[in-house]
Amino acid sequence: MQNALVPVKSENTHGGFIQLVSFNLDQEEYGVDVLKVCEIIRMPDVTRVPNAPHYVEGVINLRGKVVPIICMRKKFGLIATENDKQTRIMVMNMGEELMGFIVDAVSEVIRISSSEIQPAPAMVAGGVAHECIAGVINQAERLLVLLTLEKMFSHDEKNLFNGM
Amino acid sequence: MPPIDSEDQELLDGFLAETTELLGKLDEDLITLEKASDDTELMNRIFRSIHTIKGVSSFLGFDLLVKVTHKTEDVLNRLRKGELAVNPEIMDVILEATSLVKLLVSDIKAGTIQEREIDGTINKLIPYLLDNSGVTRQAATAAAPTPNSAPAPAPTHAPIPAPAPAPKPASDLVPKKVPAPPKPVEGKGGDDLSDNSTVRVDVKRLDDLMNQVGELVLERNRMIQINQDLQQNDVQRPDFNEEFGKLTKRVGLVTSELQMQVFKMRMIPVEKVFKKFPRIVRSMARDLGKEVELQIIGEETELDRSVVDEIGDPLIHLIRNAMDHGLETPDVRLAAGKPRGGTLILSAVHEGNQIIISIKDDGNGINTDQVGRKAIEKGLITEDQFAGMSQREIFDLLFLPGFSTKDKATDLSGRGVGMDVVKTNIKKLSGLIEIKSTKGLGSEFILRLPLTLAIIQSLLVEVEGEIYSIPLSSVLEALRVDQRQFHQISGQEVLKLRDFVLPLIRLQKFFNVLPRGEIDNLCFVVVVGAAEKRMGLVVTRLVGQQEVAIKSLGNYLAHIPGIAGSTVLGDGRVALIIDPVALSEVCE
Repeated sequence: MQNALVPVKSENTHGGFIQLVSFNLDQEEYGVDVLKVCEIIRMPDVTRVPNAPHYVEGVINLRGKVVPIICMRKKFGLIATENDKQTRIMVMNMGEELMGFIVDAVSEVIRISSSEIQPAPAMVAGGVAHECIAGVINQAERLLVLLTLEKMFSHDEKNLFNGM
Repeated sequence: MPPIDSEDQELLDGFLAETTELLGKLDEDLITLEKASDDTELMNRIFRSIHTIKGVSSFLGFDLLVKVTHKTEDVLNRLRKGELAVNPEIMDVILEATSLVKLLVSDIKAGTIQEREIDGTINKLIPYLLDNSGVTRQAATAAAPTPNSAPAPAPTHAPIPAPAPAPKPASDLVPKKVPAPPKPVEGKGGDDLSDNSTVRVDVKRLDDLMNQVGELVLERNRMIQINQDLQQNDVQRPDFNEEFGKLTKRVGLVTSELQMQVFKMRMIPVEKVFKKFPRIVRSMARDLGKEVELQIIGEETELDRSVVDEIGDPLIHLIRNAMDHGLETPDVRLAAGKPRGGTLILSAVHEGNQIIISIKDDGNGINTDQVGRKAIEKGLITEDQFAGMSQREIFDLLFLPGFSTKDKATDLSGRGVGMDVVKTNIKKLSGLIEIKSTKGLGSEFILRLPLTLAIIQSLLVEVEGEIYSIPLSSVLEALRVDQRQFHQISGQEVLKLRDFVLPLIRLQKFFNVLPRGEIDNLCFVVVVGAAEKRMGLVVTRLVGQQEVAIKSLGNYLAHIPGIAGSTVLGDGRVALIIDPVALSEVCE
């Protein structure tokens, strides 16, 4: 866990502060590094991709680019809900490519001191993929889970994608 | 040997570009020269090429290159003056020297100048420079085995401490052939010369492109104007309709012209691939003791760079096959009442938005009995199956990996990989292969390839509400069929199409599309071909034909079975492009 934190600190710190985009998923609040987020859009028409893993919602046309869309609820094993007015796609920069993630709602950009980040508790409930949790931020009013989405797809999963 | 000075990079780039071009032409000219030795114009051109290379390389300080080209030039000079007569032995040596030059040039290009063994080749050139022009092979071979007579300069600046001593081209002429490690290396060096990272574009084409872009800018301004007028309610509704209609037409026109221009810029003549074949054919013919005349037709036919890069290998395999299996030795040919020398015709021609490349020989054709027996021997088919096979199905056996009619593998063929390579590469290009062969009269391999891989014509089909796109290049026909005409053969649905039994794939099942209720017995079957296979895709409805730009699905979704990519439709939605090749494989 400690290791996962290092890159976040080193590439996005201004005197020990980092900026996060926070979003909601099944009543929990999560945060990702603001520099990784390209844009946040409403749900467009999604084209289903047959025979893809179940959490791949499909692909969309983002100004001429074809971007795969991942449903975070399905990926994290949460109950799927109907999309509503709050539903957003966060288009993130994943290495060299763009990828969209469906979340319940995007709330705000917050600035926190990197010293506030605590390692995640050993047991993380809710079935959220353990490996992409970089830490938790425990403030008076809120609990925020910090994610590194690049780590969301384990090596095995990447191979699964590639091997199909 | 001086290291390459980066300050001279520009000069060097110029040198490499020019040399590569000259060397490409040189090979071709040399082969022609062997047939028409009295063509002084040709002779002079060859001489000039070598001379230019020598001049520039001495200016840039590439000593090894200068040494080789200098001697070659001397020999060519004697040929030019008529002091020597062109004969196959001299040509062998000169061709060997040009190979060496290519190798040296590709070293320079790679930026790693290595100490190459050049004395062997030079020693073979020297006998032809002595006054006694009668000196021939013996002298050459005698000179060859002492390649180290001239001390090689100490490797002062060899970045790679020469793992294997650089290929000794000398071994080529030494009577007992060493099973050729030098050859592949040389060949590779030669291939590397075909540089595709930069493009030369005709200035006129560039000007045209600029004009088109100018037009596009004008149309954009017009569009902004119309939008403003509309915002301010300045325009009457009928007026706007008309204006907007006109604008749409003009933008459409400019865009398609722009597309054509850019498309053209990516096109290069197939000659780029074809020009290395005369030499390959010549050397193979000599090795095999056959007499072959290679005719090249339509080398000016243009196709997309990406396709040109990919067809080289399959063509070499097909030519090898034709030379080795197809064409007979002079004795056999005479006995069969054919002319002594065989003919190999390599042709390229446009047909619609496809290019058709054919390799045709007048050899003994494909022996279907022999092919069948081999397949039975290898356990690929049973006797009974063979008895019921059509000629076409027997030809298809040739493409199976590991299949070879030869009992022993030779340098040239027999390992059974060749046709598999051909099939794989052609499939990769979503092309088709067709074999025609008449026993005793020769065979023809026909490749149908798309002109480009970036923008394709496609057939849009609907599968229970979802739109998919099928590359038109693989679509053979589309039919409206009643589902009650389908037959079942051991669980596989098939359709009797004229005299052919067509295996069917229901896209609705394959792509897990939810059926939309009403069941209609009438459906459409799109007959597609992938390399040598044919199959029918069952779809709900045909939507129409459209030109689409292929977009990748990205790394994460790159390997979805049966999907080659995606495209954006007119309404902004994404449609997936079906890969018939992969589909056929998945369903096997």
